Amino acid sequence: MAESSGLQTPLWRAIAVYRIAALVYVTILVVQNVSVYERPVFAWPVLALTAGWTVFTTYAYAVPARRRPPLLVADLIVTMAVMASSAWIVGAAALKDGKPTLAVAWHVAPVIAWAVAGGRRWGIAAALAMGATDLVVRNHYDQAAYTGTVLMLLAALAVGYLVGIAEVSQKRLERAIQMEAATRERERLARDIHDSVLQVLALVKRRGAGLDGEAGELARLAGEQEAALRTLVTGRSAAPVDANAEVDLMTLLEPYASSTVSVAAPAEAVRLPGRVATEIAAAVAAALDNVTRHCDPGTKVWVLVEDEPGSVTVSVRDDGCGIPPDRLTEAEQQGRLGVAQSIRGRVADLGGTVTITSAPGEGTEVELRVPRPSIG
Amino acid sequence: MVVDDHPMWRDGVARDLAAAGYDVVATTGEGRQAVRIAGAARPDVVVLDLQLPDISGVEVITGLLAALPSVRVLMLSASGEQQSVLDAVKAGASGYLLKSAGQAEFLEAVGRTAAGDTVFTPGLAGLVLGEFRRLAVEPAAGDDGMTPKLTERETEVLRLVAKGLSYRQIAERLVLSHRTVQNHVQNTLGKLQLHNRVELTRYAIEKGLD
Repeated sequence: MAESSGLQTPLWRAIAVYRIAALVYVTILVVQNVSVYERPVFAWPVLALTAGWTVFTTYAYAVPARRRPPLLVADLIVTMAVMASSAWIVGAAALKDGKPTLAVAWHVAPVIAWAVAGGRRWGIAAALAMGATDLVVRNHYDQAAYTGTVLMLLAALAVGYLVGIAEVSQKRLERAIQMEAATRERERLARDIHDSVLQVLALVKRRGAGLDGEAGELARLAGEQEAALRTLVTGRSAAPVDANAEVDLMTLLEPYASSTVSVAAPAEAVRLPGRVATEIAAAVAAALDNVTRHCDPGTKVWVLVEDEPGSVTVSVRDDGCGIPPDRLTEAEQQGRLGVAQSIRGRVADLGGTVTITSAPGEGTEVELRVPRPSIG
Repeated sequence: MVVDDHPMWRDGVARDLAAAGYDVVATTGEGRQAVRIAGAARPDVVVLDLQLPDISGVEVITGLLAALPSVRVLMLSASGEQQSVLDAVKAGASGYLLKSAGQAEFLEAVGRTAAGDTVFTPGLAGLVLGEFRRLAVEPAAGDDGMTPKLTERETEVLRLVAKGLSYRQIAERLVLSHRTVQNHVQNTLGKLQLHNRVELTRYAIEKGLD
């Protein structure tokens, strides 16, 4: 299940070590108590089987592919059988007297193995089965008997939980490594593009700027491509936006920069909760859309982002035709003014304010001010 | 003097400048060499690509100013690497232009740099505004009122520059003279550069005398 986890190998090794240590303990107990057993002769073959199984599982579990149900189930059954044989070999009287079973301590190993292989649920299932067998074989129900089973259950729970966490963090680590590799590759590409293509495009644009006709048109196109490419390679990489996690607002706004749109912002990240940043970006997109729809092509737009302690202000100014003041109110009264409405709506939802100033021939300026949500 | 590691671009810029009546005293593609020859070539203006293969833009600017304190540096960059642009300005560059700027715009910027003016793009104004805000918020470590602050007027002017208004438009809107607007912009840069020098000195003293 969790074969990728880097914690698996040491855990399996620890189980093997535990099993060997438990075997030593069992051997000592058998030597000490064999005189009071009901059928002492049979204790030795069972001890031999315990030792054999310890050796076998140590090698068998070392191979990740074998850490699966066939071996796990066999492990559980063999251990239960060793434990059950105690009822006949040690005898009801000695067991009732408090003498340990032939699998004491050793019987926890398969339970932990289940917990490591399958997580909490498997661990608990194995612990319950093993605990029940233990109680039945012991044939006496005092506090010590229950404590052993409860401890085993808790151990299985803890190990299962640990393995779950290890698995999650392993996945996170892998993702982080992947992202880092992608970022590095992107930076390498950006450097290359910067050193070659961008320079040539900028040069073409510059040399051809004064020319008429087709050459001038080519220069203009080169300039547009240069701006687009520049945004692409220098834009702070936009990760998928998580609504609650903080993001840099600029990762969302910088892609709007082009040969006609200038984006001015602080050098440092403008950190906002993902939801707020997405809404602001959408409002800016609506404002830019408004410009392309209502103004002549080639109208220049300036976006300014200001990061203040209590709020974030984004201004979108264009040098286009502007809106006559009465048209704004008129349109609002008629219930249309979709774009301005969507900007106002979005910003109002964030508890912010929108100021639209415009005069014919002087362009339009939309200023969004959004309060910074208190941290916590 | 033109410093750019891209030969085609370097020659193009030099040709444009020569055609516009400027005397191009040197061209090079390396920052170290630029610093080395600046003392002998004695340029008035250095047109500097911010991304050179050998040393950083800040190092070139610091080196140039050390070799030739009167030199004025106009930075060009093909892409708006924001932090490096800001650092270069703090180190003493007096103007910044994107390489995508048109030829006329470029020549005007060189002219203004030579005349001692600062050349701001809206993007740079946004960066400078952001830097002052950062300094104002940042808990001042052992500061004694040295944190530079913008006056209300300066903030107002910078915001308008960042929103793409020309100096003439700003002057009209705020009912100021063109020269006053120019001075306000220049002051904001001066404050940043002074603060940067103070910080560097403080750092040097801390490192050197302790």
